[in-house]
Amino acid sequence: MKQHLWRTTLYVVQVSENLCLLLTGMKSCISCVSVQDPGDLTQPGHHYKDYVPLWTRSGKILLNSDKYMDIIESFKPDMYYLLSDGDTNVASAQKRVTKAVDNTINFVNKCLERHKNSTILQNAFVMAPITGGYCLRSRKRCLDELKDKELIDGFLIDGLHNNGPEVEFLTFAEIKDVIDLVVKDVPDNKLLSVQGCWNPVTLIKMVQKGIDVFDTSYCYIVTERSSALTFSMDKDSKMQAYEINLRQLRYADDFQPILPGCECLTCTKHSRGYIYHLVAVQELLGSLLLTIHNIHHFMKFFEKIRHCIAEGTLSELENLVTKQFDEYQDEIMQGKEKKVLNDENL
Amino acid sequence: MSDGTNPLVFKIISECKTTRARVAKMTLPHGEVDTPVFMPVGTQGTLKGLLPEQLENLGVQIMLSNTYHLGTHPGPEILEKAGGLHKFMGWKGCLLTDSGGFQMVSLLKLAEITEDGVKFQSLSDQKSEVMLTPEHSIEIQNAIGADIIMQLDDVVKTTSPNKERIEQSVHRTTRWLDRCLKAHGKPDIQNIFPIVQGTLFQDLRKISAEDLVQRNVRGYAIGGLSGGESKLDFSKVVNYTAPLLPKEKPRYLMGVGFAIDIIVCCAMGIDMFDCVFPTRTARFGCALIKTGQLNLKQKQYKKDYNPIDKDCSCSTCKTYTRAYLHGIVTMHTVACHLLTVHNIAFQQHLMKSIRESIKEQRFPEFVKNFVNELYPQRDYPEWVTSALKSVNIDLTD
Repeated sequence: MKQHLWRTTLYVVQVSENLCLLLTGMKSCISCVSVQDPGDLTQPGHHYKDYVPLWTRSGKILLNSDKYMDIIESFKPDMYYLLSDGDTNVASAQKRVTKAVDNTINFVNKCLERHKNSTILQNAFVMAPITGGYCLRSRKRCLDELKDKELIDGFLIDGLHNNGPEVEFLTFAEIKDVIDLVVKDVPDNKLLSVQGCWNPVTLIKMVQKGIDVFDTSYCYIVTERSSALTFSMDKDSKMQAYEINLRQLRYADDFQPILPGCECLTCTKHSRGYIYHLVAVQELLGSLLLTIHNIHHFMKFFEKIRHCIAEGTLSELENLVTKQFDEYQDEIMQGKEKKVLNDENL
Repeated sequence: MSDGTNPLVFKIISECKTTRARVAKMTLPHGEVDTPVFMPVGTQGTLKGLLPEQLENLGVQIMLSNTYHLGTHPGPEILEKAGGLHKFMGWKGCLLTDSGGFQMVSLLKLAEITEDGVKFQSLSDQKSEVMLTPEHSIEIQNAIGADIIMQLDDVVKTTSPNKERIEQSVHRTTRWLDRCLKAHGKPDIQNIFPIVQGTLFQDLRKISAEDLVQRNVRGYAIGGLSGGESKLDFSKVVNYTAPLLPKEKPRYLMGVGFAIDIIVCCAMGIDMFDCVFPTRTARFGCALIKTGQLNLKQKQYKKDYNPIDKDCSCSTCKTYTRAYLHGIVTMHTVACHLLTVHNIAFQQHLMKSIRESIKEQRFPEFVKNFVNELYPQRDYPEWVTSALKSVNIDLTD
C-alpha cells in the first residue's frame, strides 16, 4: 500500500465520524482518517490543556491523544493523521501559534507511543502534523522536533487555515514561505499532504512544490453553492466557463449535459435543465448529481496533473487553468459591481 | 410496447380461487407492469435522492409523480420542451400522474371548489387566484406525458357527514371526467383513469361506479379513502366498490401503502397502489420490516451490527449495519437514500411475494402466514378478520 501512495498525487475522499462502520461498505477503497473535516469551518478557540475540541452535530467532543488513538484503533484505517492542534490561521497571535506547536509535539509523541504498542495499527500509514501557523520560526521548531522520528511515513502541513469555504480564496503567495520551508526540511522519502478547499490554481502550485496528497472538500463547497466544475484541462478542447451555477435561470430549459463530452454518470444521463429543477425545488438528487460530476471532474484533474508531471507539461496546465479561473473571478466581480451600481441607482 | 392503437393492455395471468386476487401483466407505452403493483411516489420528478438507475435495479416498473408540483416547477412549458417527464428525469419505466386536485384541497386551505374547477390562491405568483379546471389538469398531464393520468375529481373529506355534498361530488366527478376525456390531447399514448367517489356511502359509490363504467376508459381508480376513516369503514368500501368495476380492467386504490392494507385489498381485487409512506418514513429514520418498522434513531441500535433485515437482498442490507444507519440517520442525507432503497425494496418484495403466491394458488396461506407473523398473539384487529372473511379467508380456522 505504501508503494501505491508513494509520491503520487492522489485525493482522499473525506469521511466522517463513522468511518469504521462506513468501511464495511467501502472495503475496496483505501481509507484515511483526518482529525477535522476540511469542508466545514472548524470553530476556532475553545482550547483545553491536552485536548482538541471536535465539533460534531451533537455538540463538542474533547479529544486527547488516548481518546483519539482509541478511535483510530477502532476505525482501523489504512492511513491516518496523528492528533494535532491546527487551530491557527494567517491572523493568529504568536501566543496561539506557540501553544499550537507545543500541543502538537505533545500529541504526536503520545500518539506515536500508542501506535508503537498497537498491533492493530501495525501496517497503518502514519502522517504527522506540522503546525506553527505562518510563523516560520515556529514551523521550524515543530519540524525539527518531529522530522526524524521513527514510524512517521509522511507529514501534513496543518494550521494554515480553519477549513471551510474561505480556503478557496487563500492565495499561494500567502502560504508559499511555509510550504517552501517544510518541503525543504522534510526528508525526501516522506509523503506530504495539505488539507482544505484550495482552488485548482493553488493546488497546482502546491503540486509543483512537491505536495502529494489533497482531499475533495473543494468539490463539496462547489456543490454546496449549486455549481459544477467545467474548466477545461486540455488546451485543444473548446474553452468552457470555469464553473457554471445551476441556480441560474438560463439553465432552466437547457437540456445539454453539464459538460458536453464528460463521461460521468450525471453528464451521460442528465441535463442542466433537470438539475436546475432539482436545485430549485431543493430535491436531494440535485446535490447528488452535482457531487458525482464534481468529484469526477476533480479526479480527471488530478489524473491530468499526474500525466503532465510525467510529460513535463505541468506549467502549461497551470496557465490554462489559471486563465479560466481568473476570467471567472473577474466575471463574478463585475457581476457584483454591476449589482452594487444597480442597487445604488435604486 | 403496447400495440400502437391501445396504450393499455391488461392481461390477467392467474386468479386466486378463494379470494378476488389476481395477477396480470399491464402493458403501457413505456413498458410492462406486473400487477398487483405498488407505485413509489416521486413527487417532483425525482424519488428522494435516488438515481433512476437505482429504481430500475430495485425492479420498479412504474412510479407516480404529482401534477400540482410539476405544474408549478418546472412547469408544463419546460416539460413540453424537454419532451415530457420521462426524458426530463431520465426515467425509462412507466409513470402515473395524479390530477393535482388532491394537493389543492389538502395543501391549500383556501381552495374553493366550483363547477368550473378548483379555485385556489397561487403560492408562487403574488397570491393571485388560479383556477385548476379539468381541462387545465389534463393539459399539464399531457405535457408531463405519463402513461396513466388521472381525471380531476371533486374530493370531499372522507369523514365528512354531509351526504348532500358528497352526492354532488359524485355527479360532478362524472361531469369532470367527461370534460377530461374531451380535453385529452394524447389518447393514443396516455390513459385517463376515472376516480370512483362517494366516501363511505355504498349507494353513492354504486352510482359513481355505474356512471364511470359507461365511459370508454381502460382502468379505474377508487378515490376518497385513506382520509382518516376507520379501517373497518375503509375495508368495507373497498370490498363493496371493487366488484362494481369491470373485472378485465385494472383497479387502482389511491393512497394505500401499509403492507397489511395492501394484502387485504389485493384479496378484494385491487391491482394498483401508491403511497408516500415507505419513502416518507425513510426520511424520518424508519426502516420497514415484516412486523412493522424499525426506528433507527433509537439508542438500542447503536451497537447492533445486524442489517435491517437479514433476509433482505437490497444493497443497504447487503452493505450496512443498523449501527451505521443509527449513527447517520436524519443527520446525513445518505441515510435517507439508504433507508429509501431498503423501503422500496421491501415494498417490491412484498408485491412479488403476493404475485407469486397467487400464481401458485397459495395466496390464502400467504395471507394467513403474513397476518400471523404480524400478530403472533393472534389478536387480529377486527377489520382484518372481517375483511378477509368477506373474501373467504377465515383467520379463526
